[in-house]
Amino acid sequence: MTDRESSLPSATSNDDPALAAELAALYARTPAAEPAQIARCTSAVLSAALPAPGAARTIGGLRFRWWWGAAAAALLIAVVTRPWRPDQAQQEADSAFVAAAAALEPRGLTVEERNGSVTRFDLTLPASTKAVSLVGDFNGWDEAATPMVRRASDGAWSTRVPLPPGRHVYAFVVDGQRWLVDPLAPQVPDAGFGPTNALIVGGTP
Amino acid sequence: MTDAELVGRSRAGDRDAFGTLVGRYYDACWRFAYHMLGERADAEDVVQEAFLRAYLAIDRYDERDQFRGWLFRILTNQCHNALTSRGRRAKRFVQDAAAIEAAPAPPPGFAATVEDAALMRALAQLDPHQREALLLKYAQGLEYAEMSAMTGVGESALKMRVKRGSERMRGLLGGRDD
Repeated sequence: MTDRESSLPSATSNDDPALAAELAALYARTPAAEPAQIARCTSAVLSAALPAPGAARTIGGLRFRWWWGAAAAALLIAVVTRPWRPDQAQQEADSAFVAAAAALEPRGLTVEERNGSVTRFDLTLPASTKAVSLVGDFNGWDEAATPMVRRASDGAWSTRVPLPPGRHVYAFVVDGQRWLVDPLAPQVPDAGFGPTNALIVGGTP
Repeated sequence: MTDAELVGRSRAGDRDAFGTLVGRYYDACWRFAYHMLGERADAEDVVQEAFLRAYLAIDRYDERDQFRGWLFRILTNQCHNALTSRGRRAKRFVQDAAAIEAAPAPPPGFAATVEDAALMRALAQLDPHQREALLLKYAQGLEYAEMSAMTGVGESALKMRVKRGSERMRGLLGGRDD
């Protein structure tokens, strides 16, 4: 408190000592601030700055530092990319890619059921699919002829079609718009209408 | 308790510690702002704003600086802002000595002698940068190095401001003493 007076001019190399003395005297004669004024200032500052700056930003007794976020981001990146194990990181990225691709790509299964000449077509599609139908040379490529139904157990679209023995060409129509082939089933060369799958029904021996 | 300890406590959320700092430096700040702005109410506002800014920025205060210098850096900036913002307002400093002595609101207890009134009037007529330099140098008794750190202005520029300000003051006061 008493160091207020120490701010009064020292006899250093002033450019104009007389003026300096006058100004210092003027300064010294300026009445001190009233205690009420100081109290007013203190309360205004402290109430305008609620809550206290230090208290507001402590987490578990630690003051938040700006670099916490940067450190967390660096740690996350290091854990995900694992620069010290590039082979494993690559492998995991590949398998994640394969899994993601598998979730988005259709997976089909064509099963010949031997009771009679019925063939079952199964096709797994992303969950957003609303309607699927089977088209082929056996139904005149009619989208409305053979709708497929979603099986509750695994979500695969399925239908049964009686097929005479012989070679059949087919495809799937998704949501009435997109023609699709089963990527895992045999395909025949594109004859100008888009890719199709082929199936040989082995007739009764 | 030293300033550094009080700052540390303020950072930890101790409001009384900052109150102590305000009490310790209010008077110096107020005198400076009063002579810088020439008006009591403005000075009080500016000092309060400076303390508020200091409080909000206390996390950014570097312990290697003196608290007083850091606070005055904020205060000088605030004074300049206040001067700029009232630039187009009517000049409060009446050029007439008689009007000054009859002014309604001198600070209570301030026995405004004729010399003081003339000094204050001369100060008010200076360029704000010169006034700031003169007040820091002569009235606060700071070294040029401190002033430079405080204002961000080079020492030679500050010396020039003090010199020009002194000459101007001498010129303005010239007709008085004889």
